Amino acid sequence: MTDHAHDHDHAHDHDHDRTVKPMVEEITDFEVLEIALRELCIEKGIFTAEEHRRFTEFAEQIGPTPAARLVARAWLDADFKALAIAEPMTASKEVGVDWLEPTGFGTPSDFTAFQILENTPTVHNVIVCALCSCYPRPILGNSPEWYRTPNYRSRLVRFPRQVLSEFGLYLGDDVEVRVQDSNQKHRFMVMPMRPEGTDGWTEDQLTEIVTRDSLIGVAVPKAGVTTNVIVDTRAAMHPVGE
Amino acid sequence: MKAANEMDDQMDDVKIPALEEIVDRNQVWSRMAAKYGVENPVPPWKTSLDGLCDALDQASCDPNGSAVMGIPDFKERRDEEDTLSATVYADLPYPENQLVALAHSLLARGVISEGELRQRLSSIRTRLEA
Repeated sequence: MTDHAHDHDHAHDHDHDRTVKPMVEEITDFEVLEIALRELCIEKGIFTAEEHRRFTEFAEQIGPTPAARLVARAWLDADFKALAIAEPMTASKEVGVDWLEPTGFGTPSDFTAFQILENTPTVHNVIVCALCSCYPRPILGNSPEWYRTPNYRSRLVRFPRQVLSEFGLYLGDDVEVRVQDSNQKHRFMVMPMRPEGTDGWTEDQLTEIVTRDSLIGVAVPKAGVTTNVIVDTRAAMHPVGE
Repeated sequence: MKAANEMDDQMDDVKIPALEEIVDRNQVWSRMAAKYGVENPVPPWKTSLDGLCDALDQASCDPNGSAVMGIPDFKERRDEEDTLSATVYADLPYPENQLVALAHSLLARGVISEGELRQRLSSIRTRLEA
């Protein structure tokens, strides 16, 4: 068969209509609004198109994989684990995250410190930002919607076990729950304990089960579980105005 | 230009018809994605909105710029988003509520006028549909 004949046959072997992912085929008001705000801000000199492009690229490429790999490596290498606890920013660099230049062109926050909170059989850590929604974005990606809500932020501080149970995480009375409040200067992530049933696993295999939720502390890793919990987003119990 | 604390108190009292019309048309991502069989959990403009918020936050840290232009700092922006998402835009899902709340903040603060927003919405739609 010639190359041409091969291409020809290939073209008829598949239903290409079905292999192209569907897309929204109309211009939505929200899409137009986002562009309008951006263009007007640029025209008013609030920021430049180049600054916006760089921040958008940063938002596109971040995710929880570096943090998951850091934890997996720490589970396999005691020296690296010690480094992660003692010098978390040095350990972060080894998984490709430079906290002092997370975007490669500076950072809008006045960030000064990053800390990794180690879970033990008697201590479980969970992070929040009670004030707004500070989150270790360079190493964990964008925060989930529920993390941003006033409901999670206020209730986790007051009723941590109740909130964790809503994520399906029930901790015994012998486990102390520590809620760590993030802010613009200090960011945190949780180093969960390595679960049973993972003996002999490689770093890549372990990385897959270190989920975003387990790095926030609303879940613990389990062999075979690689997805996050889907929770309802609740309105605040005492909304503005009450 | 109003003071920041006064601004936050009054934020949800400000009516912005141009944004109300967008809310009424209800082209939220969950509905549009279902209509066209799209699986992405968030709309394609979300990362650009994240970039916009980061760029605004960076600008608000500039001591020479923010006070003059009235743009919210990081905490004001998030506080106003929370207030507006729980009140005026309580029926909008995320991240549409984040986007419309940001627009509301910028208009209520006088950073952008409703007239210029309307004009820009129209010209962008014309451009995209050309």
